[in-house]
Amino acid sequence: MSAITSRERRERRAALFFLAPDAIGLTVFVAIPMLLSVVLGFFWIDGFGNFDFIGLDNYVRMVKDPQFWSSAKVTLIYLVVLVPLIFVVGLGLALLVQQKFPAVGVIRSALFLPYVISIVVVSMVWQFMLTDRTGVIATLLSKIGIDGLSFLGDPKLALGTVIAVTIWLQMGYYMIIFLAGLQDIPTEYYEAARIDGASARQRFRRITMPLLAPTNFFVLLTSMVAVVTGGLDMIFVLTSGGPANSTSLLIFYIYQQAFLFGDLGYAAAVGSVLVLFLLIFSAAMFLATRGGRFSNDD
Amino acid sequence: MPPRPHPSRRPRGTSPSPTRRTLLAGAAAAAASVPLLSSCGSGAKDGPLTFWNFYHPAPQQDPNLVAQSDWFQKAIDRWNGAGEHEVSSVYMTSDQMNQRMPVAFASGDGPDIFLISPGDYLRYANGGVLLDLSPYMEQDAIDDFYPDALTTRRDGDKIFGLPMEQEPLALFYDPDLLEKKGIAEGDLPKDWDDLLEMAASLSSGTTTGLVLDVDPGYYQNFTFYPWVWQTGGDVIDPKTQKPVFDADGPRAALDLWGRAVASGATPRTRPANGDIVSAFSSGYAAFWETGVWDVMSLTDNAPDKKFGVMPLPAPKGKESSTILGGWAWCVNARGKDPEAAARFVVQSLGSMDRECIDHCAVWNGPAKGNMPARKSVDQKMQAEGSYDEEHQKIFHEEILPTGRGEPRFPPVVYKAVSDALQSVELAGGDPAAEASRAQQTIESYLETYEGGSLV
Repeated sequence: MSAITSRERRERRAALFFLAPDAIGLTVFVAIPMLLSVVLGFFWIDGFGNFDFIGLDNYVRMVKDPQFWSSAKVTLIYLVVLVPLIFVVGLGLALLVQQKFPAVGVIRSALFLPYVISIVVVSMVWQFMLTDRTGVIATLLSKIGIDGLSFLGDPKLALGTVIAVTIWLQMGYYMIIFLAGLQDIPTEYYEAARIDGASARQRFRRITMPLLAPTNFFVLLTSMVAVVTGGLDMIFVLTSGGPANSTSLLIFYIYQQAFLFGDLGYAAAVGSVLVLFLLIFSAAMFLATRGGRFSNDD
Repeated sequence: MPPRPHPSRRPRGTSPSPTRRTLLAGAAAAAASVPLLSSCGSGAKDGPLTFWNFYHPAPQQDPNLVAQSDWFQKAIDRWNGAGEHEVSSVYMTSDQMNQRMPVAFASGDGPDIFLISPGDYLRYANGGVLLDLSPYMEQDAIDDFYPDALTTRRDGDKIFGLPMEQEPLALFYDPDLLEKKGIAEGDLPKDWDDLLEMAASLSSGTTTGLVLDVDPGYYQNFTFYPWVWQTGGDVIDPKTQKPVFDADGPRAALDLWGRAVASGATPRTRPANGDIVSAFSSGYAAFWETGVWDVMSLTDNAPDKKFGVMPLPAPKGKESSTILGGWAWCVNARGKDPEAAARFVVQSLGSMDRECIDHCAVWNGPAKGNMPARKSVDQKMQAEGSYDEEHQKIFHEEILPTGRGEPRFPPVVYKAVSDALQSVELAGGDPAAEASRAQQTIESYLETYEGGSLV
């Protein structure tokens, strides 16, 4: 009895030993900074050593700040449009490149390639291509009689353009994730369904989607986090939050407040609200997808 | 010493759990200690003085950039050669500097010497990190600076930054393109209406008539202010320190920029990603509002390309006016050795010493090709024929005298103007409504503003 206890103790010690580096790293580099960031939201801080505790003033200011609400609205649209589109495009591409046809490897690599290029470089290239009048896109469109569109300079088009470029950039990554999920589904299921006379659509609905549940959850969650907390580099290069704040995501607004305006306390407060926003969406997604569990996993 | 929050005012957790409360109190203390670090992090006097700038060491082998980098190297060599506290320069782009500076200052590791523009000045000055350089300067040297160059870097008798240049804005044009469209140089636009009409008529195919800045940011505001001033209007009245943006003049300037885009005279994105050399060389733009720095860019990078320079046209019956940009060297009052850093800055830019004047004339002449911030440097450059080049001559004789220093507005004022401008220019906003909204934002901010004057 005591020998078993001692072994258990040793195993627990070993487990703790192996977990310690990650736990310490996450605590020091993630948990503590997050907590500090929440606390900084209760301070006025100018970044030069001057600070004062101001309670909820930053949050009260946020409620009255039209730019905060404008950025929150832009972020919400960006999220609600981009995440489903990335999901659909990623899955569609994965289904396509799952097929066996000549040069499928080259096509997979080509689709993944944008993801490994620096976002700044990608954004600059797109900026050149999307320039009014002289860019490649404007030139091609003018050949088919479409003139005068300004993809980055018109507030009605700019956010859509940023979403399109983001999908182009990230679709390869999500394609690979979906491809891995698809390849994990045993082919016997499809063969049995075919023998039973199931159509392609039925096979997709009854076999592919249910068995992709964990992958779907992973893609939805990671793309949502990437969409809400990322995008700064691209916005910075492509539009600087313009035209007329139409692409000013909350993450860009936080950057402006912290690094351009030196209002670190307010930036931290907005950051805390953004994290809260993300937690609420993650929880909703968790509930909606049952955390990616298979339907009979209760 | 910055004020410390009273312990009783620390944020408290709402949970009854003592563990969580203790944790939150600890986090509050740790958070509060972050800013405090700035007052104790740079106490050490050892190590070279760091000079953050975007000129030296040269980031690439472009002859222009190399000449500017060499100029910095010579200033540093002169100082270091005298056995003073060593200065070591650190190169970074201005964007990198924007991002790294707040982090560096917050952790008490800010640079000892750095460059700032008037747009950033008040944040640093109000933060108390700029050292007064006046005790290290002779009165003759202070008087040698043009008032417009120094006003936005001083507070009373105290001088918190020494400008290395004055960079006026003007309208650059492509005479070949104008000639092709039947416009002679004698028919250049004389007022706003002329300019818009001509620019709209020139805009077709891949050619755009008038390039105004469209990206939101300090630079766009910088390029917009002279159009406001030409009307006799302003954002803030320098005398009363009250906002005066909701007035006829600023509304007219907003309207001008809105009409420029709406009429098709001005594109919503700048041709050639904002590179005037490529745009003029390819015939993409007829008129372009930019600064004196582009004279050297064009002459060096497209020596065969003809271009012209003219003052910004004013509204009918008004005088032309321009803005004077430029960067200043500042010293971190909490740096390793602020005294030595101040003496280095004054030796390099603010001394009556012949070597200093000669060196500044090299910067404003062959190295950078802009307008000097000092009278003695100007005299030397005139004597050397630095303004004999036709474009520099126009800048020096016609444009510079109409200039006013770039205003040093705090971020909230900048953002209010920027939002109004972006809305009218690119989103069809109503100039009167946007001017009124900006005015209200600025008024409400100034009610509690404490800090340097807004000039």
